[in-house]
Amino acid sequence: MLKDLFYYLIYPGFLFVAVAGGLLSFFDRKITAWVQFRKGPPLLQPFYDFFKLLLVKETIIPAKGSRITFLLAPVFSLFGATVSSVLIFLPLLGIKTGFTGDVIVIFYLLTIPSLTYIIGALASGNPFASVGASREMKLVVSYELSFLLVLIALIIKSDMSISLYDIINAQQPANAFIGSISGVILFIVAIFCLQAKLGLVPFDMAEAETEITHGSFIEYSGSAYALIKLTKYIMLFTLPAFIIALFMRGINLEGIGILWAILKVLAVVLILTLIRNTNPRVRISQAMRFFFVWMNLLAIIAIVLIFFGY
Amino acid sequence: MDHIQLDTLYLPVITAIIFVPILAGIVLFIFPEKIKTVKGIISLIIAAPVLYFSYDIFAQKNMAGKVSLMDGITIKSQVINAWLEGVGKYTAINIDNLSKLITLLIGFFGLIIVIYSLVYINKAKGIRNYYPYVLITLGSSFGAVLADNLILFVIFWGILAITCYKLIKGYDEESSAAAKKTLVIIGASDGLMLLGIGIIWKISGSINMSELSITTTDAIRNLAFITLLIASFAKAGAIPFHTWIPDYVKKAPASSSAYLPASLDKLLGIYFLARICNDVFILNQWLTLVIIIIGVSTIIIAVMMALIQHNYKKLLGYHAVSQVGYMVTGLGLGTPLGIIGGLFHMMNHALYKSGLFLVAGSIEKRTGKEDLDDISGLSKAMPLTFLTGLVFALSISGIPPLNGFASKWTIYQGIIDFGKTPGVANQLWIIWLSLAVIGSALTLASFIKFISGAFLGRRREELKNVREVSIAMWFPKVVLALICVGFGVFATNFVIPKTFIPIAGDFQYVGAWNSTTISLLILISIVLGIIIYLAGNIKNFRVDDSFVGGETFREQTGFASTEFYKTISNYKLFSFIYRKAEEKWFDIYDLSKNIILWFNKKISLAHNGVLSNYAIWILAGLIIMLIFLI
Repeated sequence: MLKDLFYYLIYPGFLFVAVAGGLLSFFDRKITAWVQFRKGPPLLQPFYDFFKLLLVKETIIPAKGSRITFLLAPVFSLFGATVSSVLIFLPLLGIKTGFTGDVIVIFYLLTIPSLTYIIGALASGNPFASVGASREMKLVVSYELSFLLVLIALIIKSDMSISLYDIINAQQPANAFIGSISGVILFIVAIFCLQAKLGLVPFDMAEAETEITHGSFIEYSGSAYALIKLTKYIMLFTLPAFIIALFMRGINLEGIGILWAILKVLAVVLILTLIRNTNPRVRISQAMRFFFVWMNLLAIIAIVLIFFGY
Repeated sequence: MDHIQLDTLYLPVITAIIFVPILAGIVLFIFPEKIKTVKGIISLIIAAPVLYFSYDIFAQKNMAGKVSLMDGITIKSQVINAWLEGVGKYTAINIDNLSKLITLLIGFFGLIIVIYSLVYINKAKGIRNYYPYVLITLGSSFGAVLADNLILFVIFWGILAITCYKLIKGYDEESSAAAKKTLVIIGASDGLMLLGIGIIWKISGSINMSELSITTTDAIRNLAFITLLIASFAKAGAIPFHTWIPDYVKKAPASSSAYLPASLDKLLGIYFLARICNDVFILNQWLTLVIIIIGVSTIIIAVMMALIQHNYKKLLGYHAVSQVGYMVTGLGLGTPLGIIGGLFHMMNHALYKSGLFLVAGSIEKRTGKEDLDDISGLSKAMPLTFLTGLVFALSISGIPPLNGFASKWTIYQGIIDFGKTPGVANQLWIIWLSLAVIGSALTLASFIKFISGAFLGRRREELKNVREVSIAMWFPKVVLALICVGFGVFATNFVIPKTFIPIAGDFQYVGAWNSTTISLLILISIVLGIIIYLAGNIKNFRVDDSFVGGETFREQTGFASTEFYKTISNYKLFSFIYRKAEEKWFDIYDLSKNIILWFNKKISLAHNGVLSNYAIWILAGLIIMLIFLI
């Protein structure tokens, strides 16, 4: 149990993913700044932001709303992000002991942050937050099926096994899954699902700043918002790591492998950042059609290709 | 079988839990309606020991086997003894792990509902003879579950259709129509079941379920199976025989809805489905395919209907249909994992759905409103109702680590496992899995609407005086919510091994889920979160009104939760389907009603009142009869 606690709180759990996620957030912002011909923030800016919100800024609680639900929602979102990251990183780092969860469990746990954002937003009683929450929920419903189809395709590719260890191992002797035609198609679908899960442009309609002034998070400030920021950092690290485990045969932490591991993470985050910087925000109905029709179609094509051995 | 023979000492207990509630119910008819509280307390006095004895039966691990209810009776007279022996054949009951589990659950829900009704039914303008019907339902449900003989089974099953009809009050046109619809759909399916039982008797010469093992090879055997399948689907509420549930729950008192469509009807319908799929018949792969198709389409169609509902009871009613899809899918798989998933989901569904109806009843009692548009922000006024409602809602949406997740996860694994073996339905496992998972996401979406519409947000002015309900109404909900959490937390290391493996046999998990460890981590996370809050600047907080883009906040300012999913119903395809569904195009009751009325009109053309025409009809009829008879 003590070991589980260490896994959960220190490495590869909470502390590790929070720090790494903060650094990735810096990377994302720096790239964004370069795309926009700006200088960009210093390396530790995400941590400055977090501690400023936590320690200095005043917390404003909405007068008409459910206060305890409002304040507890970020705590649960942090739980969802942390526990899914542990379940992803234990297989990824090759740690065989401790608690496990298959990809379906991870799939479900990864929706907890979005769910808690929604509940927290609704608890604030702000109409803008309600608009944001309803959009977030619709977005969840639309990308969930595409993401599941990606997982199903990979389950078929790895001989019907749903454990993340086995999915990583199935890629070891031969090439990684991304090396096949179906793998590339599935990777594209997965990247767009990630984009929506992370709430990045073009799928940031739930928190559209220019339109509904940060939507779901409009009422959050101070310590509560610090927790949400932390969740977002963790998700920015966890989800690309999940993709690496699923498509790029995980990572290898021996010698030069560490460099490769870092490059893989940076490459996935770079793709996400470039998409978000070169696209406009779409409407929620467009996003729903995009996932329901096009992404699902792509995923189904990939599954058909898998049956023909591509 | 290494089970020891059923102890005849237990026979009086078994007889008692079936007949004491029924007899007490009949006696309670005599009491006047004015002393409703006394009737309630008498029911409580009956329901509590019944729960104890049903637990007693459940706890006897080794007790299993068949017995006749008449075995215990010994009478000197030869004539009566011979007669008893004849009757004894038809009163065979069968006790195995499955019927023991269902017995316990029925006893539990009986007690929970009686406690809740003590306050709920008294104050509201109750139904006439509410408690007698509740008790008769309780006894008959035990009878139906324990019966081995199909005739005995169908008698108890038929009584349940009548009590279900009587537990809804016909106070206006819509409620009478709903009651009639319930009776017609369930009654018609019972009629079909009688046909099926007749066929079974003809084929195999026995109507004791434990003696049957019919292969579904030819048309007549398939027909027998399908008639019994329809009966179980109509009871549990699977598509296309589900249409009575949304109408029933909209008009019935919440306690009736929690009692019959939410818990007992599900338990019995799925129990019977499990019996006919696993014991009575040996399914061929096409029947498996049909059952799974009905299962997944039930999930999706009902949840899509739930998304657009404004009336919260009707919303819950559609979910009571949608969740049946998971159980049907799980049982349809026929593998141990699938059966365990289906039965586990049945138990969980009975827990959280009856809980949700009790929540709905509490809201209705305190506010008098039935529409999500008319209520909001009740979380502070009714904290326990909110908290339990949230647990039930997250549970039904399958959020880990609650019990709904545990059973859905078992079903998903069952589907993946099922896909590994050859067969028609097996090859299509991707479709079953995707539809089941997306159904769960849509369930979450529509419960977000329910929770936010009823509890979150700003409270309306007219709801200022709403208070929490009294202890008899919140206690059952709290018990149900605690069990929901407990079954989720101890799912993989206690509930499934102890309760379901004895029923369905041992199996290997495909996936991995440490429910207890991860639940502990939640506790740690909450502590961690509070530590972060306390370490931060949380003491320096300010309460202020919401920011709405610089506008002043008015009473009407807001975004109604019922508008959440307009985007979906605005798509052309969906708006068309929704419109047709509102016009009852897909309602088997209305469809068959229209067909019958059409025939009626055609036949009534012959009735033109001319005497000579009637004489010709009679003569023609006689001639046809003569031809057939000679």
